[in-house]
Amino acid sequence: MHAVYAFVSGPLAWLAFLLFFGGICYRLVRLLWEVNRTEKFIFSYMSWKYSLRSIGRWLIPFGTANWRLHPGLTVATFTFHICLLVTPVFLLSHVVLWDEAFDVSWWTLPDGVADVMTVLVIVCCAYFLIRRLVTPEVKFVTTASDFVILAIVAAPFITGFLAYHQWFAYPVMAIAHIVSGEIMLAAIPFTRLSHMIFSPLTRAYMGSEFGKVRHARDW
Amino acid sequence: MKGIACVAMAVLLGVGFFSVSAFSQEEMVVVDNRVFDAPQRPSSRFEHDAHNEAAEIEDCAVCHHVYDDDGVLVEDESSEDSSCSECHGIADEGRIPNLRKAYHRNCKGCHREQGAGPVLCGECHPW
Amino acid sequence: MAKAPAKTEPSQALDQGLAVGVARLTPEKIESTIRTVLKSETGARLSTYVETCIHCGLCAEACHYYLSHDNDPHYAPVGKVKQTLWEMIKQKGRVTPEFIEKAAIIAHTECNLCKRCAQYCPFGIDIAYLMLVVRRIIHKLGCTPLYIQDTAHSHSVTMNQMWVKGDEWPDTLQWQEEEAQAEFEDLRIPLDVEGAEIMYSVIAPEPKFQAQLIYQAAAIFHAAGVSWTMPSELGWDNSDMAMFTGDNEIMGRIKRAHYDAAIRLKVKRIVMGECGHAFRSVYDVGNRWLGWEMPPIPIVHAIDFYYELLKEGRIKITKKYPTPITLHDPCNVVRGGGLHEKARYVAHTLCESVVEMTPNREHNYCCAAGGGAINCGPPYKQTRISGNRIKAEQLFAAKTRGAQVLIAPCHNCHSGLHDIVHHYGVGLDIKFFGDLIYELMEKPA
Repeated sequence: MHAVYAFVSGPLAWLAFLLFFGGICYRLVRLLWEVNRTEKFIFSYMSWKYSLRSIGRWLIPFGTANWRLHPGLTVATFTFHICLLVTPVFLLSHVVLWDEAFDVSWWTLPDGVADVMTVLVIVCCAYFLIRRLVTPEVKFVTTASDFVILAIVAAPFITGFLAYHQWFAYPVMAIAHIVSGEIMLAAIPFTRLSHMIFSPLTRAYMGSEFGKVRHARDW
Repeated sequence: MKGIACVAMAVLLGVGFFSVSAFSQEEMVVVDNRVFDAPQRPSSRFEHDAHNEAAEIEDCAVCHHVYDDDGVLVEDESSEDSSCSECHGIADEGRIPNLRKAYHRNCKGCHREQGAGPVLCGECHPW
Repeated sequence: MAKAPAKTEPSQALDQGLAVGVARLTPEKIESTIRTVLKSETGARLSTYVETCIHCGLCAEACHYYLSHDNDPHYAPVGKVKQTLWEMIKQKGRVTPEFIEKAAIIAHTECNLCKRCAQYCPFGIDIAYLMLVVRRIIHKLGCTPLYIQDTAHSHSVTMNQMWVKGDEWPDTLQWQEEEAQAEFEDLRIPLDVEGAEIMYSVIAPEPKFQAQLIYQAAAIFHAAGVSWTMPSELGWDNSDMAMFTGDNEIMGRIKRAHYDAAIRLKVKRIVMGECGHAFRSVYDVGNRWLGWEMPPIPIVHAIDFYYELLKEGRIKITKKYPTPITLHDPCNVVRGGGLHEKARYVAHTLCESVVEMTPNREHNYCCAAGGGAINCGPPYKQTRISGNRIKAEQLFAAKTRGAQVLIAPCHNCHSGLHDIVHHYGVGLDIKFFGDLIYELMEKPA
């Protein structure tokens, strides 16, 4: 157990963060380099004003026609993404580890709240899974990779929830939690989870085209 | 002002006395976490004598260390007479790590070095 | 992955151009063409769109084909990408001729490039662009549907869309001038007047079979005292089907001819007739191919120009149009040019009662004729009609609220809506703004 823990919390964690941050930088730099090489015109249409206008609008729940068209999904996706980003960053147990390792710490969520948020992430994942299996227009374009990335995201939260409550196989669950979290971090830049990095950029470009050239709203 | 100081002194002495009698190390089974306002996790189980026997620790200073003002470990001195929270506050103070971190580093750090003992959160803080 | 439900296929006549093109394909040609286009003609944009799409299906309800086919996922924008581009990318170009045939039909006749889906995708993925990439591949494989390919050929040979010959153009203008002079004695259709204020350009179908629209425009400009001219030679046609077949090289040539004509005549602006795709081509697409961020000369769509004439009082209305109208927002000038409020100003100035359709403005449903779909000709007429039942429903709802006339300030919309109104028995008269202005304006003696 000690050797396993030492490995997953040591070299593997470093590798995961390296792949996560390095991967994000690599993907961004590569994207800009590629745009500059082949589609430089994109830069001339980009506008901060219209990029932010578009991104801002789409970040408001029910702020766009399509969010209003899908109230269930809108609630689910906002809940999911907010909890997904906030919970791990502000979880006490995680901040304790940052503090121990690097002497940095920040505000944390009460454990009870974090617990609820974790459950919300899991419930939303289940909702997305069911939606994939049941809704025809989603099912039609679903590939195996969609289930894989959903599993990659759900796993740290499911294992984290079980590890926190120590309901069964605690040490195994704790290790599984650490490993699955590392897999998620490493996967973000290199799978379609990269929408975390790219979606603000695609949105910004479409927002710029609509605002600057088309004089129309893109929401 | 003087009144407040007296009351504070009395309270502190009371707490000190209480904690010594209730958690004297001979019968210690759990780490005293009452200095924390609203601890999120249960206090960690720690049977002092059994632990030291199993870990073959005879020198108190292994855990009850003393550091001088320059942050250098003072050899041959130990601090088992004072409670940890006398030096380690709720927040970091200069070089002195906060109480929680001090505990985690002290316990978990040693367990990792020795390759024995609990290192996962729930192993010390079970529900 | 998931088992696809059966697709509701519209009945469809044989497209000889497509059939012959597909018969000529070889696996090697398909593979190398797809690879070449993907490798050397696309870049970060395409790969980012494909890699960022989370397959959420939220674009589905943006599409009138999807809505009209009872939410058949084959017609969802992402569903169409799956059936075309994803597969090409996944198979690295190793797809069958039958696949190419299907892809050609999907990209050309089941998508109008209206970009409503770009407004519904939370990530702003430009699905119309992805369809255009497919059309580019289809073009390079020689499998573009026959009728629209014919218009592209016409562009290439005559620099206009309708095989209008060199002398037919000025001849038609002179004919309309003479006709109009019976009504306005001193009316001119000024050809090649250097230094005129504006150059008026039209799509080739106007001289070909809707010459009265040129008459009307001349009457309006005459009444408003506009300093205008038209080029007698190349560059008079602002239309552009090459843009929709993925024949970017031809597109570039005809746009250059158009801009060149305006520069040659030293006009200050190009005013164009009530056409949407031409606006898209001149205002947004052709200029980019030629290297201009924005058009080299201001482009003013008819809606914008009528707005100006009415607002400044250069055209006076004798009386308001008494029949309630409803206004169709064409994608290319509204979602593509933001002219919806100006269109409403014009509509309210001209008419006593304007019944709004829902959804409207940027969110209006497409006519299903644009993006070259109607130009793919009779074999696909039923595709357009069955693919736009939702439009009929939308129009009918406006009619039940009183509308009797439908204003469609775009040629493609006009023709497409005509088919829809007739097929579904909606019973609305369809007019251009120009029709109303000509009818209602104060005419000089």
